[in-house]
Amino acid sequence: MRRFELALPTSVDECLEILARRGPDAKVVAGGTDLLPQLKNGLLKPAWVVDLSGVAELRTVRDADGGGLTIGASVTARELELDPRVRSRFPSLAESAALVGSVQVRNLATLGGNLCNAAPSADMAPPLLALDAEAIIAGPSGRRRVPMASFFVGVRRTVLGPGELLLELAVPAPAAASGGQYLRHTPRRELDIAVVGVASQLTLAGGRCVKARIALAAVAPVPLRASEAERALEGQAVTPERIEQAAALAAEATRPIDDHRGSIAFRRHLSRVLTRRTLTTALARASR
Amino acid sequence: MPRQVLSCTVNDEPVEVLVRPYDTLLDALREDLALTGPKEGCGTGDCGACTVHLDGKPVTSCLVLAMQARGRAVRTIEGIGRPDALTAVQAAFVKRGVPQCGFCIPGVLMAATALLAENPHPSEEEIRYGIAGNLCRCTGYTTMVAAIAEAAAAGEGR
Amino acid sequence: MATTTMKTTRDVKGVGLAIPRADGAEKVTGRVQYVADIQPRGLLHAKLLRSPHAHARIVRIDVAKARALPGVRAVLTAADIPQLKKKAPTRAHAVLAIDRVMFVGHPVAAVAADEPAIAEEALDLIEVEYEVLPAAVDPLKSMQPGAPPVADLGTEADTSEAMAHGAVAVAKTEAPAPAKAANVSQQSRLNRGDVAKGFAESDVVIEKTYRVPMVHQGYLEPHAVLAEWDTTGNLTIWASTQGSFNTRSEVADVLEIPENQIKVIPVECGGGFGGKIRALCEPITALLARAAKRPVRYVMTRREELIAGMPAPQVIIQLKAGVKRDGTLMALDADTVLETGAFSGTVLAVSGVFLASLYKWPAFDVRGVEVLTHKPSVAAYRAPVAPQTIFAIDSHMELIARTLGLDSAEFRQRHLMREGDPMANGQPWQSNGANEVLRRISEHPLWKTRDEWKKSGGKDGRRRGTGFALGGWLGGLQPTGATVKLNPDGSLSVLTGQVDIAGTNIALAQIAASAYGVDFEKVKITTGDTDTAPVTGLSAGSKTIYTVGAAVLEAAKDARRQTFEIAARELEAAVQDLEIEDGRVTVRGVPDRGITLAQIGKKGNLYMSKVPPVHGVSQLAFSQQAPAFAAELARIEVDEDTGEVTLHDFVVVQDAGRAINPMGVEGQMQGGSVQSLGMALTEGLLFDDSGRLTNPSLLDYRKLTAADLPSIETIIVEVPSPSGPFGARGVGEPPIVPAPAALANAIQDAVGVRITELPMTPERIALALLSSKGA
Repeated sequence: MRRFELALPTSVDECLEILARRGPDAKVVAGGTDLLPQLKNGLLKPAWVVDLSGVAELRTVRDADGGGLTIGASVTARELELDPRVRSRFPSLAESAALVGSVQVRNLATLGGNLCNAAPSADMAPPLLALDAEAIIAGPSGRRRVPMASFFVGVRRTVLGPGELLLELAVPAPAAASGGQYLRHTPRRELDIAVVGVASQLTLAGGRCVKARIALAAVAPVPLRASEAERALEGQAVTPERIEQAAALAAEATRPIDDHRGSIAFRRHLSRVLTRRTLTTALARASR
Repeated sequence: MPRQVLSCTVNDEPVEVLVRPYDTLLDALREDLALTGPKEGCGTGDCGACTVHLDGKPVTSCLVLAMQARGRAVRTIEGIGRPDALTAVQAAFVKRGVPQCGFCIPGVLMAATALLAENPHPSEEEIRYGIAGNLCRCTGYTTMVAAIAEAAAAGEGR
Repeated sequence: MATTTMKTTRDVKGVGLAIPRADGAEKVTGRVQYVADIQPRGLLHAKLLRSPHAHARIVRIDVAKARALPGVRAVLTAADIPQLKKKAPTRAHAVLAIDRVMFVGHPVAAVAADEPAIAEEALDLIEVEYEVLPAAVDPLKSMQPGAPPVADLGTEADTSEAMAHGAVAVAKTEAPAPAKAANVSQQSRLNRGDVAKGFAESDVVIEKTYRVPMVHQGYLEPHAVLAEWDTTGNLTIWASTQGSFNTRSEVADVLEIPENQIKVIPVECGGGFGGKIRALCEPITALLARAAKRPVRYVMTRREELIAGMPAPQVIIQLKAGVKRDGTLMALDADTVLETGAFSGTVLAVSGVFLASLYKWPAFDVRGVEVLTHKPSVAAYRAPVAPQTIFAIDSHMELIARTLGLDSAEFRQRHLMREGDPMANGQPWQSNGANEVLRRISEHPLWKTRDEWKKSGGKDGRRRGTGFALGGWLGGLQPTGATVKLNPDGSLSVLTGQVDIAGTNIALAQIAASAYGVDFEKVKITTGDTDTAPVTGLSAGSKTIYTVGAAVLEAAKDARRQTFEIAARELEAAVQDLEIEDGRVTVRGVPDRGITLAQIGKKGNLYMSKVPPVHGVSQLAFSQQAPAFAAELARIEVDEDTGEVTLHDFVVVQDAGRAINPMGVEGQMQGGSVQSLGMALTEGLLFDDSGRLTNPSLLDYRKLTAADLPSIETIIVEVPSPSGPFGARGVGEPPIVPAPAALANAIQDAVGVRITELPMTPERIALALLSSKGA
């Protein structure tokens, strides 16, 4: 760790003011689970670090119209894992949060941090993509909403501009007869990072799928929506054959890299397997 | 680089200490407060040896900036029992010969204590997941799990 | 020396009791101090600048800006250290690179500063110009003529590791031809009989290549050392070390100062497993402390440990076995390559012995080479080379049995060596419990019900299987001494130089108790530093109880004899009529006639007394090893689609000879077997083509968590050794040996594929299954 100065804002406005003043010399910290390792490895050497832990308005989970939720960026993975509203309305999001690191890491890691760090393997991204969530961002020119589908622009790059801060995530109310699941593959059961992660969400009506969402982590520079696979399901009855077909299409849509965590062949294979499994569970949950 | 005043509670005592902005909570506890129970095994949150309680929740203190503990309650292993008054889980660890090199033990006990406070009657699987954030190279975990289960059965989860 | 018929003195609490270590309460309250916990006044923090290249020439190094940074108290390069030898003979001598770096992570400069952050900023200010050179990073390519040379010509192979482990008598075998192959630092060849003929007469010949990558010992406490000089040139080192005397010798050698000007204080060691036997950080820390004239502490980061520690070697074993259809062994041919990194340090000879003579091959030709590469040099890791070797030979035996349709346990039993059979190096196998261990594992219910377990699989693509393997360690030897004092209150104080890593101190107390004649609570064991303790060997090689235990035993017997001599004079009785009971020396059959141990102890300390103090002393050297074997069995479930292995049950059966402290023995079995499982399933240091480590963090260097494991069952078997104290054998090493083979066997049982490369990750298994289904 190199030396830096630390700012301790107590409001969003104060935070934005500091970011505007310090510019690229400043990095924001919430849970620290991604930032601190990067600081310690010398990958980042900011002159200023801005601590968000004193900004209370980022830590809330609020009910929104019709049963949706608005989740503050500083809500921790552990809070999401255990929150009864998240578990009952958006089980795939609770599942993804429950998989991050270990219980100690989950007590620190925040939803906002997971998304803004924008690793391709970010576990909480695929469920939010599959749930059509929106990011609410504050910046020098005020607030704006960005659909999750546009939030990630590259490896570790998001749509956040200079001086902007992710405030909260708006997750729309779950439709009746919808269900979803998040699964990931890791070599160990804890303290690990996704080799591939998949979130599927199905909405049924009259025995058919009216909306399908399949989002994958760690198989492309950004968390990926498998649009062709989704279209293959929409409007159809969801049968095992259709699931298999969608799984194959999802695997084909991936653009994984070869690295020590997984080869291209294995990630493609896992994408198919996990898409099949999450679709099967999503169907069962939607049919309840 | 000026130091900042960290005001918080550590092991039930109010504390005011000057810390560097870039100190982690682990650094501040070990260097400024002489609480060397929490250890640095990796510095990146991947081994759990630095586990302390922050407002009652187990966290890897190597990932917390010291100033992020302002106004909060911190508990280290030094705030869990004493050599002459061990908690049930500490006593079970001693009786079953769990500690070998001992380096992981403070972190494991912090995780186990938090687990039992939240879930007084955990299954074996819940115990294993409760300490899965704590790596141990000496014991293979079996005796730890048995000791935690014994402490839970004794009924004094804390 | 004790024999197996030695009885403990009657009715004392000593050998055989399952007792927890004495420091339990201190450990569970976080009161035990490790090196990084020691905070002397004026402490400075050290950081090292390390090479980013695997092989490069240092063109220029400029530390002026680093020296000028406020808060920096010392900056060293090789130019500041005249003792550094141009051709560093060992890794410990490679303190700072002089003109050439030989592995990524090779230190080139060192800084001591008021705080770690300033030290790191100082490193950023050091300018180094490198001329990158071609690097030898693959051992097979490194052996080829024309490969970039690693060692300077003429550097001798450093066989101190083999000696330190004392594992195998380096036999007088056929001298290998002078190495034409580049970068080959050791060679060995063991052969017997006519392998060509053996293969010609075989019905079935099976060939496989087994590969195990470099792995890290994985101790939780990184290397840590604190160094301070006094004004007269004496150096004190507080070290996390497995051998304070070895550390002292190496530091003395590197710094070129007399050994008795160095005091090494062994601080509580947070795990070593062989990685803290050799000096690594001590010399540079001492040099910084001398330059800065203040105490300096250096603690490696985890990243440094993984990049530039001293891992276990990569091992590649090509096996070719010929057998008859009825299971008769005919011939074994083997080529073993041990990749040792930038300096020689493997225990090559052990591999050959286990390959060729654990099972009785009538004809064998086993060749081994140690190969240098531009990677961090290796050190021992708990039973060095044995897990990798047993992975090969036990997998191969299982493969042969399955191919021939023979029972796995019976096949091994039939061919397993017995006491007196010749080892591959010509020496006879000592008495051992391999057969007993094999029998016990094959009688285990999990093995007996393996068919039912297998049949119960198949739902949801989850297949089930069972496998076991047999392995062991030959047992280390090292001379050592101990003292036993009788205190004026009748208690005993034992002094050794043995670092207590494996909980051996409690067992030593039990040995002293049983040998002298008091309860173990009356015995205190002290680990002295190098100034105060008798010269002692390493806490390694599974030899602590075997050697130090023997030394304590002899010293306790000496103290008992002295006690009786004093008592005989006081009581006017004959020594042979005396006994010790309840803290009193009495005349057998005449309980009124007695004198307490306290009285004897006091007499030895009174002004003007004519009674000497009781001071038992021993100094021993050893020649007879005591091999110890373990078998491990795994019951598993495999997800066919993802390749994920779930460990349902795991059993360790181990021959301890005589379990001095069963709790301690079980602790070793538990910990060692989980390290073995890590090697089997998840661990490996992964280097890229330029010799850089791609997984330098514990996120990607995967050690098993509690959630990955079942509760492990341990079964202790006792086949007493003729020469260990009370029949004990070393117990630290055998449990790390069998799991890789056991898991490979279980995986083959479950899904029909034979994996021959570790770790057996889900990816390896899933892709093997996909290709076996005919992609």
